[in-house]
Amino acid sequence: MDLTLSETQTQILDAVGRILERNGGWRRAKDVTDQTAHDDRLYDELQEGGFTELALADGTGPLDAALVVERIAEDAAVVANAASLLVYPMVTRRPAPGPVAIADAGGGPFRLGAAAKMLLIQDGERALRLEPELSDLAQVDNDRTGWPLTTLAPSALARAEDLGPGAGAALRNWRRVGLALEMAGAMRGALDTTVQYVKDRVQFGRPIGSFQAIQHRLAQLTVQAEGAYWLALEAAWRNADPIHAAAAATHAAANAPAVLRETQQMHGAIGFTRDYPLHLWTLKLPALQREMGGARAHARAVAKGLAA
Amino acid sequence: MEFDWTEGDLAYRAEIKAFLKDRLGDGWDGYDKSDLAGYRRDSVAFCGAMAEQGWLTQNWPREYGGQEASAWRAAILSEELWPIGEPRGPQYMNVNWIGPAIMKAGTEDQKLYHLNRISRGDVGWCQGFSEPDAGSDLPALRTRAVRDGDDYVVNGSKIWTSHVGTADFCFLLVRTDPDAPKRAGISILLTPMDTPGIDVRHIDGFAGEQSFHQLVFEDVRVPASCRLGEENQGWGIVREALSYERVGAAHYDRARLILDDTIAEAKRNGLIDDPEIQSRIGEVYAAIEASRLLVYKVVDQRAHDMPPTADANISRVAQTQALRLAGELAHEVFGTWGLEAGTGGDMRRVLTFSVAAGATEMQLDQIASNHLNLPKAK
Repeated sequence: MDLTLSETQTQILDAVGRILERNGGWRRAKDVTDQTAHDDRLYDELQEGGFTELALADGTGPLDAALVVERIAEDAAVVANAASLLVYPMVTRRPAPGPVAIADAGGGPFRLGAAAKMLLIQDGERALRLEPELSDLAQVDNDRTGWPLTTLAPSALARAEDLGPGAGAALRNWRRVGLALEMAGAMRGALDTTVQYVKDRVQFGRPIGSFQAIQHRLAQLTVQAEGAYWLALEAAWRNADPIHAAAAATHAAANAPAVLRETQQMHGAIGFTRDYPLHLWTLKLPALQREMGGARAHARAVAKGLAA
Repeated sequence: MEFDWTEGDLAYRAEIKAFLKDRLGDGWDGYDKSDLAGYRRDSVAFCGAMAEQGWLTQNWPREYGGQEASAWRAAILSEELWPIGEPRGPQYMNVNWIGPAIMKAGTEDQKLYHLNRISRGDVGWCQGFSEPDAGSDLPALRTRAVRDGDDYVVNGSKIWTSHVGTADFCFLLVRTDPDAPKRAGISILLTPMDTPGIDVRHIDGFAGEQSFHQLVFEDVRVPASCRLGEENQGWGIVREALSYERVGAAHYDRARLILDDTIAEAKRNGLIDDPEIQSRIGEVYAAIEASRLLVYKVVDQRAHDMPPTADANISRVAQTQALRLAGELAHEVFGTWGLEAGTGGDMRRVLTFSVAAGATEMQLDQIASNHLNLPKAK
């Protein structure tokens, strides 16, 4: 047991941090979000930097990829993150051929489909792979969720390749780990932004962060967000063991609404503007939180695993 | 970073499990604390046996008879002992923080006198901390100690004190300088409980069979040689000691036992098929495992010899809430049978946890100021 980052992990996180900074951080995320697009430039940089290979490379593994996924989500990047860096490689044992998006057969809108070079499709106990064509996808007005959304035409399934026995379960479990990581990162990003804001914002002659009414709530959210972070990392370490993966997704999805609600509330009106960055994190949370049936579905998967 | 136990740690856990099975048998679930003499006798015998194994003070430095075992070994020990009802009795406090505080601040005589007793496992301590007017605001304590020759004369009162019935010594916080700022006038007296003038009053509680007490001190003469650390420097010592107290016990595994019992009951009574109950089982499990990892983070810092941080407070809040969620779910699943003594997650004892060792509100204050660095309220 050792919960301290190794030297390699520190270097990996420093390197991805530099890429994110060079790319423009949250300002770049805002530009991409405003255009309802995918950050192709960032994806290319991540690929060139070898980050899409981390999960399967010699000397690194899914935990290292997980650390990177979480870090990217902390910066609110609009990029095919966990799907490409973690889920696709772990399910197919091959690095992602480009941005990957994940859809449910017969399901609703999903994130980043239009930018995807490859789709992973959950079809009950099967996992499918498909190189999407333009006609397979329909844009969905994204209602400013922070993610471009598409739906998948049912006819596309006929062309999809079945990834074989066990892949359906692997996809479900790794997807949960990926969601947990992306939610944990977005929660941290929203909280960090809010902690800074309440230190700077003066009302009644003092920073509002000096009021206990604010302090206890931020402290409480920190407990939840840190818990989500560690559960997600452990689930990656345990190769997306079904109970660990579902527990990580449960904790993140169950606590994300409070982070969204409270960080918005503490910002007051400025938090609802497009100029101020808080929404880059908060508006990403609902889409992540609802995927795969949300906290309730993840939690029931935990219970079924425990009762078995 | 890795989340697996070493081979050595796994073997150590297996040894402890075998030892517990041998000494306590299967299904042991705590002492009958209404039989004080029996409780004391049995917990002392257990600690003596642990001492023989070298486990009682395994984390202590070698110069004090320890093995400098990693902080992970203490965590493993706690995971095996605390959930089933802590067979060490009150002595877990001795090894976790009273001994280390004496090592850090004690005189050579004090170390010789106390550390050997603690290592043998046959001494009881209680903490003389809270007072009627100093609970969460502990540094406002007023129990007065006035120097008179070679003694301090102590007057005042301590309250909500646990483990008095088995205590030979009290780790007593007193005010030695009433004019100094409140944290700068506190001293510690390692006070023998048989000192004349200490009046022990029992307070009937409803949370578990472990009662608490009020201690009234009337002109109690405590030799100045019992003072731990310099006069008026007690607060710093106690603060550090308390940071160890906060993660000393594996409450997450107690919560896990409650959850396991709850799942077994839900299977028996059919509630396991209720989607709402399933969903809550998953949320409680996730909260328990999150709190386990947050405790591990603190253990990891200690294993790397890092100074205590507000992560201890984060782990405490997480454990408190996981335990409460487990208790609430247990009550729902057990229904009225959960009102029967000893069943249904022990809701009343679960309630005490968000008050003991620093109320949750105090923990949140610490997280706000020391982890988030939010500005002070004043």
